[in-house]
Amino acid sequence: MKKNILIFIVFLLIAFVLPFVLSVYGIDLVSEIFIMAIFAMSLGLIMGYAGMVSLGHAGFFGIGAYTVALLGPHIPNSYLLLFFSICLSGLLALVTGAIFIRTSKFYFLMITLAFGQLLFALAWQLKQWTGGADGMKVSAPLNLGFGEIVSPIGIYSVMAAAFIIVYLLLRFFVESPVGKIVKGIMENEARMSALGYDVRIYKLLTYTFSGALAGFAGSLYGFYNLFVSPDVSSWMFSGQVMMMVIIGGVGTLIGPAIGAGLFIFLQNFISTYTERWPIIMGALLVILVLVGKGGIIHWFALLKSKIFYKKRKNSDDYAPQHVEKEEVVN
Amino acid sequence: MSILKVENINKSFKTLQVLQNVSLEVQPGERHVIIGPNGAGKTTLFNCITNVLPIDSGKIFLEGQEISNMPSSKLVHLGMSRTFQKNNLFGNLTVEENLHLALTATKRYRYQMFHALTKHIDLKKETDEILAQWEISTRRNVKVNNLSYGEQRLLEILLAMASKPKILLLDEPTSGMSPAETAQTAEMIQKLPRTVSILIIEHDMDVVFSIADRITVLHHGEVILSGTPEEVRNNEEVREIYFGGGAKAHA
Amino acid sequence: MSLSIFSVQLLTGLAYGMLYFMIAAGLTIILGVMNIVNLAHGTLFLLGSYMAFTFMNQQFSFWIALLLSVAVTAVIGIIIEKLFIRQIYGKELEQVLLTFGLAFVIADTAKWIWGTEPQTMAVPALLDSSISIGPMVFPFYRLFVVLIGCLLALLLWYFESKTRIGAIIRAGVDDRAMVSALGINVGVVFTGVFAFGAGLAALSGVLGGPLIGMYTGMESDILVTSLIVVVIGGLGSWKGSFIGAILIGLIETFGKIWFPSLSMLIVFLLMVVVLIIRPQGLFGREVA
Repeated sequence: MKKNILIFIVFLLIAFVLPFVLSVYGIDLVSEIFIMAIFAMSLGLIMGYAGMVSLGHAGFFGIGAYTVALLGPHIPNSYLLLFFSICLSGLLALVTGAIFIRTSKFYFLMITLAFGQLLFALAWQLKQWTGGADGMKVSAPLNLGFGEIVSPIGIYSVMAAAFIIVYLLLRFFVESPVGKIVKGIMENEARMSALGYDVRIYKLLTYTFSGALAGFAGSLYGFYNLFVSPDVSSWMFSGQVMMMVIIGGVGTLIGPAIGAGLFIFLQNFISTYTERWPIIMGALLVILVLVGKGGIIHWFALLKSKIFYKKRKNSDDYAPQHVEKEEVVN
Repeated sequence: MSILKVENINKSFKTLQVLQNVSLEVQPGERHVIIGPNGAGKTTLFNCITNVLPIDSGKIFLEGQEISNMPSSKLVHLGMSRTFQKNNLFGNLTVEENLHLALTATKRYRYQMFHALTKHIDLKKETDEILAQWEISTRRNVKVNNLSYGEQRLLEILLAMASKPKILLLDEPTSGMSPAETAQTAEMIQKLPRTVSILIIEHDMDVVFSIADRITVLHHGEVILSGTPEEVRNNEEVREIYFGGGAKAHA
Repeated sequence: MSLSIFSVQLLTGLAYGMLYFMIAAGLTIILGVMNIVNLAHGTLFLLGSYMAFTFMNQQFSFWIALLLSVAVTAVIGIIIEKLFIRQIYGKELEQVLLTFGLAFVIADTAKWIWGTEPQTMAVPALLDSSISIGPMVFPFYRLFVVLIGCLLALLLWYFESKTRIGAIIRAGVDDRAMVSALGINVGVVFTGVFAFGAGLAALSGVLGGPLIGMYTGMESDILVTSLIVVVIGGLGSWKGSFIGAILIGLIETFGKIWFPSLSMLIVFLLMVVVLIIRPQGLFGREVA
């Protein structure tokens, strides 16, 4: 626990120092990373802590983004806009989740995919409101009570604060009864039911919370990007976020955030050299799946256990079993 | 009033009739053992009572209340809890975490979303009590997958007991155990307080006769006999069917 | 709506339904037998379509182009299965991700080769006319697509219920361990199933060419529609896919006329209704 607090403080320091060392472009990029990290963590929650693999999570992101875009001109209060985004996406997650969760694992994946694509199609087809495929401008100034925030550093601070808040919320959630119980359900659903838990309620609570967070990320994106297009709801985007989760590591909170950082960085870096980023991304994913060992966060753990293993070996001590297995593989 | 009453239930899988007009009653505090050869439908009976499998016809009552079509998760809250023939635990969690999950099922704070579970003092206290009572405090932080088989069987029962049930359904608690472990488990079951009634499926005849107040014999999905251990021991039909001609009756 | 418009829309809906059936049949059987949601399935459709387009530009006839691109896509299916999917049997999440990565690679490669301009494919000369009954006009080509779809359904039915391989595959959907217990080489069955599904996707793509054309993003549209067909029909069920596909084809076609901006919503709602009534799909097994 102490170690976690230490890491958290180090992170705060880095987040504080970054704006002073980065260019405006860099600051902008890191702001986007914070938003995507929130989004990826929300998906990481249902994937890694509840065993629900969704390919439609961008649907909630899109709801958040379009809520800001569509209501922005009518509601000048940023807090209200954020609140509406969270409520709408959470409500939608609650209603759709109640239906989706009854189905089996593959069905859930396919249905969520169709659901995200439905919102994509609606954003595309309801041209009179959304501007269709061309997307729409967001005219909602971000104002949190101390003046309009337009400077890159201002935006950066808001996104960093949002990220920290969401991270803490998630941390509290996974330690809470519902968080522990839903993880128990992921491991052994039949037994949880026999112990007296209504498993659907717990899955639904988690899914709703996750959907609301994705909506929150989407609304931040609306404020950040000042432009939204149907692509924010497409299943391809859902898949990319799933990539971030996998790159970082399923089953941890911070892993997906790290994955989001790496993904956005690579995307921007490679896109400056070639238009063929999708091919490279697809190929990277294939390679990651074939040779990756559970994502970056687990590589760290692996590395650490290896170092400790060597130390322990020298002191002629007991070595954990899984490390031995890794040694054989290599 | 009986605590559990099963009335004429039937269950078939496609064309195979697994349970045929099965009826039985468990009185408060009773140790009621179900015996019968393999394939007699014992585990299916448990699955039907706990509504893991829906019954085709018949009725089931818990303390006079009909529970025939109640979701199994709800039954725990009415005071019925069960174990499984094969260990059905949370292998990647520690003993303590397993107990936490089992204990929280009947807590009011089980729907809390942002307050740490382990901060609830009553949970810690009850966990400590269970660990101390069964003398496994040293195993508290051991992952369940690393426990011995016998320890896992014990934990299986402790999880079911965590909700303080009025009736406990034990599905072959001694299956796969060494003779020493079997004796230990029998002793443990005898130690359980009489405030809880027990319906138990058991193969080991020593265990059966050491704990049973009443025995129901199931054969090909039908109840052959329901009576005291004495009656079962002396019944010709049971000897014929179950003990294979009476060669190995434990007199 | 006049009778003439109604009848031609009915035929169009049926024809689309048959296209969806062809692609969904492959998807559902890959899912049923191999436990893989093949997210690259839409891109195989796209690839089949574009390849036929290129072959026809090389002065091959429609029919030759059809055969060639179905064959090539089936071979690509074999390569994908042997080179990639085989490496990670049993890891379901990884397989989904793998096919997702492949979808990106294939779709973007197609964009690279064939550009982003929408393309059209001519109706083969042999079928480029129509038959009229009273005020109703039926284009031959659409009748032909419906016919091919029905034939395929019959063939699959025969294959599934009357042949040994069909029995093996049916057993594989119900119980995978059983198949290997029978001493059957599961690897060969898997490769075959995957190649077969890929070929069907290409067939659908080529036959769909003269109706739908080719455009960027088509692979997503077609993937989503066929996933919905699979969900409605039930996992691993060809019969379910057939009925689901026809339902979707008709609803989508008429939906586009009556509620142009909500056609996708109607299709989606149909799926939701089916799921509420039967969570395992119309013809899915009880334990989905």
